[in-house]
Amino acid sequence: MKRRKIVDWVFSGGAYCAVAVMVAFLVLVIGPVFVKGVGAYVFRGTVENRRMMLEQFGRGDSVAVLAEWAEVRRARQPVYDALRAFEREMDEMPSARRKELRAAFKEVKEGVAELLGPEPGTPLPALTRRIYGQTRWDRAKVKRAHILFEEQWDYSGGDGVRVLVPRAPMFEGTALALVFAVLEKDLEGLLRPRLRFYPQFLTDRSIDAHFFGGIGAEVAGTVYLALGAMLIAVPFGIVAAVYFQEYARGGPVLSFLRSCVNTLAGVPSVVFGLFGLAFFINTMHVSRGKSVLAGALTLALLVLPTVIRASEEAIAAVPRTYKEAALSLGAGQWRTILTVILPAALPGILTGIVISMGRAAGETAPIIFTAAVSVGPLVGLGDVLSHPTPALSWNLYNMCTEHEAADEIRHVQYGMALTLVMIVLALNLAAIFLRARVTRRLKG
Amino acid sequence: MSEQTGNAHVTAVGFSVFYGAQEAVKAVDLGIPSGEVTAIIGPSGCGKSTFLRAVNRMNDLIPGCRAAGKLMFDGEDVYGGNIDVAMLRRRVGMVFQKPNPFPKSIYDNVAYGPRLHGVTKRAALDEIVEASLHGAALWDEVKDRLAKNALGLSGGQAQRLCLARALAVKPEILLMDEPTSALDPKSTARIEELIVNLRGQYTIAIVTHNMQQAARVSDKTAFFYEGVLVEFAPTSDLFTHPKEKRTEDYITGRFG
Amino acid sequence: MRFAREQIVLTAGERRRRRAAAWAGRAVLFAVTSVAALAVLAIIFFIARDALPFFRQCGVVRFFASNAWYPTHEPPQFGALAIFCGSLIVTVTAVVIAVPPGILAAVCMSDLLPFGARQVLKPTIEMLAAIPSVVYGFFALVVLAPLMQDRLGVSSGVNALTASVILAVMALPTIVSVSEDALQASGRELREGSYAVGATRAETLVRVVIPASVSGIFSAVLLGVMRALGETMVVWMASGNAAQIPKPFFNLFAPVRTLTATIAGDMGEADQMTGSAHYHVLFAMGLSLLFFSFLCNVAGEWIVARQRRRMRGG
Repeated sequence: MKRRKIVDWVFSGGAYCAVAVMVAFLVLVIGPVFVKGVGAYVFRGTVENRRMMLEQFGRGDSVAVLAEWAEVRRARQPVYDALRAFEREMDEMPSARRKELRAAFKEVKEGVAELLGPEPGTPLPALTRRIYGQTRWDRAKVKRAHILFEEQWDYSGGDGVRVLVPRAPMFEGTALALVFAVLEKDLEGLLRPRLRFYPQFLTDRSIDAHFFGGIGAEVAGTVYLALGAMLIAVPFGIVAAVYFQEYARGGPVLSFLRSCVNTLAGVPSVVFGLFGLAFFINTMHVSRGKSVLAGALTLALLVLPTVIRASEEAIAAVPRTYKEAALSLGAGQWRTILTVILPAALPGILTGIVISMGRAAGETAPIIFTAAVSVGPLVGLGDVLSHPTPALSWNLYNMCTEHEAADEIRHVQYGMALTLVMIVLALNLAAIFLRARVTRRLKG
Repeated sequence: MSEQTGNAHVTAVGFSVFYGAQEAVKAVDLGIPSGEVTAIIGPSGCGKSTFLRAVNRMNDLIPGCRAAGKLMFDGEDVYGGNIDVAMLRRRVGMVFQKPNPFPKSIYDNVAYGPRLHGVTKRAALDEIVEASLHGAALWDEVKDRLAKNALGLSGGQAQRLCLARALAVKPEILLMDEPTSALDPKSTARIEELIVNLRGQYTIAIVTHNMQQAARVSDKTAFFYEGVLVEFAPTSDLFTHPKEKRTEDYITGRFG
Repeated sequence: MRFAREQIVLTAGERRRRRAAAWAGRAVLFAVTSVAALAVLAIIFFIARDALPFFRQCGVVRFFASNAWYPTHEPPQFGALAIFCGSLIVTVTAVVIAVPPGILAAVCMSDLLPFGARQVLKPTIEMLAAIPSVVYGFFALVVLAPLMQDRLGVSSGVNALTASVILAVMALPTIVSVSEDALQASGRELREGSYAVGATRAETLVRVVIPASVSGIFSAVLLGVMRALGETMVVWMASGNAAQIPKPFFNLFAPVRTLTATIAGDMGEADQMTGSAHYHVLFAMGLSLLFFSFLCNVAGEWIVARQRRRMRGG
């Protein structure tokens, strides 16, 4: 008896744990995306950020920014002076000492250029990302650490262990010591971090492969693809649902069509991509190469079973009495469907559409070969039939695997992930509310 | 069956309805007199509803349902091959067991039928809606909220709205399939009052399993039992001097 | 106020016209429905059409039995055995990780938690099932992989285990949601019958409720398998993409390469060479994927049909 009770207790405990573990897992996955994703929209921006915004986007109060920039330049002058002074010092050093310090100095000098931007008066670099120093305070602190410490690997314990060795002692007594002291103590003075709200991240164009600016082109691409897919899938889906629910009379043809729809629901998403490439692009030639149209067609196929099922359920849930009433007033079958059944089923159908739209917005594999490009400008509405587009899902993948400086733009990646998740969750929340309304209404 | 009056509006001659192999209405001969209220009573499953729903061919919705014999309306067999079912249903209105207003506004509910049949002018629609709601004694209660959703009405109001909706297409016959079975006694009384008021303007056939109701509102009563029309007579006669043993057993409460 | 027509009888012409209209309407509906439904046949056809040249050129046996995947060598070699193994390893591991907690969580939601908690948890879980897979892949690559590398001391954070764990997390909501529906559907009478003879909750659930819902739970597991097998982004980003069979085969810390990731990864390079063997071999892989998911589908439908037969008595 006692043992049975213990078993019971353990089992229940295990079940509670399973739910807890599941929720924990999911929080663990979503948590970082939320926390860090917000960092793309709200962050501590430096004076470099304000300069960049002014010059690239024409945003901000130019007088104030220029005044601040002048102050900061004055504060930075000692750093640049110290660098030049140290270069002169180096020329007079014994060659052994010079050799010892040269490599380290080069890293420090490059680090300073990355941290604060090129020294005023020197020719401007070609890449936009090199024209400005660090625009974000968090990135600035990382860069400072690269200057202040040298990364070394200690293999004494067998496996390599990373150790950070301060560089300052190496340059003790030289002019460069000042640089380390200033960077350590007064980085705020050099960069002036200030809290920045950047809601335009959602709509801004990207500058220099997402180093600056926002994700407007990706958001637009995702919206085009999701809307386009629904535009194609919804008419087919609703017609098929009406046929299955109101017209079909059973028989082998019907059950065959039904199992076709079920099979379609199980096709892996990457296979849809292959099909889109082989059929829409290489056979039908809907466009020369990838395009929003080809991607939307492919995604439409992907969501079609969901739309059909949701619409069927919604139509089946319409009380028979509505149909009887319409017919008894002399409405034909068409009129009954159009004026009574579909309007009554509409909220349920909308729920399915909204959920499918979330799915279409989030899918990556079907658009890789049919619609998505890694870099590209915002596609205008007139070009959707023929042009490929960047999209949130694909560019998130691309930026964290293939971008040449993936580490430097983590905040953009997190921002994209958050935006994508928010779009999908917002659509799903809308579906939940819609469903709740339907349930309430059917209850009376 | 003796009461085959000359002014029958709907006439069944040897009329049967089958659900698959099962015969739900068996060779019924019945004339529903014009301008009067005819009650159809009988125990559950006796075919009374099936018969009623045959008149406007609502049974078509049921798979495997077919009819035999003749059911004449306006000189035509309702089940004839060349019948415009929609037009038939326009001229034969129906009120159902449970109030079934559409999830639309009160106005749109009533205007639904006229719109179907080609009335599009706002003024004409307004006129029909008001007249129909008056006809169903609902106008005073809803005239200030015609744009509100009809699902917000009480059960009794909803049923009167359904009646108004049926009246709006100006039918000649009103079929009522247990119209008060889902209503409380007060609402039931109002519907019965309406039926009495509508008598004369419309030919009314009402299926009910409430014998007092049949006695209160109808001129003639038909008693169905197991698909067969057992007796058809003026209501007062049928309830006081039933000719058939089965009728007597039923109305005295020995079964049903 | 009168309506346009009164006659209930149609003229012969009118009748013919209406019949034709009804028939045409029906035909249009049927045609549109057929296009929607038969799309899957088009998919099978076009994938197979582009897969066939590969089989004709390079042979079926080498594709399934050889381990040598050198698509860009001269001459190229297209042995996909290691890639099939990769898909198998990742899918099986993910399902093994996801199923026990998934079923337990479903049991907890259907039988242990109060009604209110379930009302909140269920839509939450459905929402989590909607989170795009590329976000899970991003998490695996940027958060989980470095963590494993630093803390567990594995040589590479992107490997079979990382991919499997993330796939399991992704498959969990589906498994929980569908199993919970199955458990709910088994009804209260069943549980009351068991409690009435003095069984504890665990005994009731394990001996009565779960066996009664086993076909629904099995469908849930199949759905999980299909999701894991067909998933592209997570495995592409988190599995390491090395076309080799791990040694020993249960070494989950080894990087693997799956069918889906190969298709996604190689088609980008192959799209300039439409018509090459490399292009066609990816369709051969797509065809294999289609085949597996079709098998899962058939198995699922068979289970549902069998259950229906059993419910009907017999």
